[in-house]
Amino acid sequence: MKRLLAALLAVLLLCGCTASQINGIIQWGEGGGTDMLMRPLCTLTEPYLARKILPRNMPGGTGTLATQYVYDKRADGTTLLLGAENPAMYDALELSDLTYRDFECVLLIGCETVGVTVAADSKYTDFASLIEAAKANPGTIRLATTAKGGLPWTVARFLYAVTGATFAEIPYDSDATARNAVLNGECEVTVSKLQSGVEACREGKMRYLCMFTDASVDAFPDVPPITDYDPAFSEYLPWGPFYGVFVKKGTDAETCRTLSEAFLKGYADDAYQKLLSDLYVEPLGLSGEEANAYIEAWRAASLKALNIE
Amino acid sequence: MQNFLSVLHLLIRPEVLFPAALGTLMGVYIGAIPGLSGTMAVSLLVSLTYTWSETPAIALIMGVFVGVVYGGSRSAILLNIPGAPAAVATGFDGYPLAQKGKAAEAMGLACVQSFIGTILGILALAFLTPQISKISSLFRSVDYLLLGVLALLLVGSVSKGRMTKGLLGAALGLFLGCVGNTSQFSVNRFTFDVRYLDGGIGFIVAMIGLFGAGEALYQLSIDAPTVRQDIPKRIVPPFRTILKHLPLTLFSSVLGIFVGALPGAGGDMAALLGYDAAKRTVRRNEVPFGEGAVEGLIAPETANNAAIGGALIPMLTLGVPGDAITAVLLGALSMRGVSHLSLQSARPDLYLLILAALVLSALFLLLFGLTGIRLFVRMLHIPKGLLMPVILMLCTVGAYAINANIYDVLLMVGFGLLGFVMKRFDYPVAPIVLGLILRSLLETNAIRVVLLSASGGVFGALTPFLAALLIGAVILGQVRIGKERV
Repeated sequence: MKRLLAALLAVLLLCGCTASQINGIIQWGEGGGTDMLMRPLCTLTEPYLARKILPRNMPGGTGTLATQYVYDKRADGTTLLLGAENPAMYDALELSDLTYRDFECVLLIGCETVGVTVAADSKYTDFASLIEAAKANPGTIRLATTAKGGLPWTVARFLYAVTGATFAEIPYDSDATARNAVLNGECEVTVSKLQSGVEACREGKMRYLCMFTDASVDAFPDVPPITDYDPAFSEYLPWGPFYGVFVKKGTDAETCRTLSEAFLKGYADDAYQKLLSDLYVEPLGLSGEEANAYIEAWRAASLKALNIE
Repeated sequence: MQNFLSVLHLLIRPEVLFPAALGTLMGVYIGAIPGLSGTMAVSLLVSLTYTWSETPAIALIMGVFVGVVYGGSRSAILLNIPGAPAAVATGFDGYPLAQKGKAAEAMGLACVQSFIGTILGILALAFLTPQISKISSLFRSVDYLLLGVLALLLVGSVSKGRMTKGLLGAALGLFLGCVGNTSQFSVNRFTFDVRYLDGGIGFIVAMIGLFGAGEALYQLSIDAPTVRQDIPKRIVPPFRTILKHLPLTLFSSVLGIFVGALPGAGGDMAALLGYDAAKRTVRRNEVPFGEGAVEGLIAPETANNAAIGGALIPMLTLGVPGDAITAVLLGALSMRGVSHLSLQSARPDLYLLILAALVLSALFLLLFGLTGIRLFVRMLHIPKGLLMPVILMLCTVGAYAINANIYDVLLMVGFGLLGFVMKRFDYPVAPIVLGLILRSLLETNAIRVVLLSASGGVFGALTPFLAALLIGAVILGQVRIGKERV
């Protein structure tokens, strides 16, 4: 009995040790795009908070598990949601009742450019030929996605909204495995962020057919923006996945301000800015109302594509 | 030759040597603690070393990677609590060896075999990267599905002649694996609106409960004396033992390298398949499998460490991680602005650094892995009435450490009670963990295969790997290493 009590005591001690730190819950898995941006940011921010930030991955359910986990914690700023754009659309996609409206934005880090990619030896020479084939054979061209609400899935909704093209959507565990499915011929097309597609393209293994932008991108000046195919896409642009640090709504204003100031300092570090540049992430550095306005505009464009009021 | 000299030069550089040593030492002991996974340790180190220069940071991470894969076997052998999923198969024969008083011998052998596996994995990484990478990148969903089905056949290996009971356990494991939010469709299953269950039932919690707490409760309930452990003067296994099992070692290494190189498979799958293959092929074993056969220890321990070199291959060539730890490593390289594709040609210096750090880590594994064994083994001399409650405490802390969540502890207790009842009624517990581990591989790939076939995709075609796996399965059932024991 004494030993069982000792075991309980050990657990309580562990609880006590973890209580003094800040927990950062990363919405996606280890080694993914969100993970890569969040871990260094936490390391660089720690000195300004004088507290340890412990990043932890909690992937699953397009990020709903992590979002719900943070929401279920006390609104005291000790549990952060280190998330991507997905929660902005949860309610519309019926993935969860929660959205970023239930959180305060501590820092909106940056956003990314995405493009439609195929294998280097693909028969689709340009975006027009892909869309024509998809319209001629609805629901048969295999699009590698990362499940409902993920990036390729969402871009497929934009493509349908403007062109009417539909695809056979095959869900994979991550953007890396989705990309590999295209490279080994299991799927024909996917949507890749610049950071995850750029190297395979430079290696000559993959090609961007178009960028989901209204102007050409510096990294790939020869790849046309999607508006070259159909200017109607411009009503949804600019659009791209974004990343941010959030706390539960109800966290007191002073705590939010302290966190925002510290994270902004970590974000402004030269090393972090270089990281953003290396990963082709466009820096935003927004917080408070500015961040909320950005997320609302992003949500409105996405809802329009999904034809949801 | 130039590369070889460069690796030799790196081996003696202090900024490689010391971090690799520290990392391996940390890995061996972190790996031995159930609940503290290698992925968790490497993730923390990636954050901690972000501001370090490239060389010591990578050497430290490689050290932890190698150490943690071996470390998991210590608690599996001593206490029947695998420190990590890759050590589940180690416990099948490692723990029975400890129960026979041969824990020191088993731990020494596990360490040497891990070393050999790691070295063979490094050789594959150094010389066969393009070839293995090409093969692994061609592996499709239907091939993964078949691999999962092959792995499920392990139920036969771990049921110890109680096939019906084993199948029931595997079915329960597969069912429990279905609990939670489906990653592909974001739908909750069998969660009964309990939010904790949205994340599913973690197989590490199940593993700690079923193997660790279940065994401790069972040991407390039976009146068996404390086994006196042989503490040999020489922990290193005799050279003739290693030589005798060389064919099995090579076979397990090749299997480990190949399975490790398959994205999403990793060391746990390599160890399980290695154990199963050994059980099917080895016939001259002195002790039956499951009762303390050294072959049942050699195969998984070699395979899971060989999988390290294998897992790095798709990461460095395709940017697709072979397992969870390489996924973290991939992120770490990207954070440092390192091009991870074709690292061999793009950043030969870094590629050689990884090789050198792995070689050093393997050597340090031998050093640290063979020390402290006598101390660990003496722990088993503690009377059961004292030792078992300590194990229960370790299980509690281990379950809590996974996510700092008290519900994980409660779930572990539930699995502990289930494990205890199953042992009392002679049901094997390993098939439950097997079902839990394999559910995701089987289900996600089955869904993809169905969707692909609906789109007129590749399901109908017999891919080269599907054919190879089918032929391999048939051969595996026929080939025997060594002569049949009369």
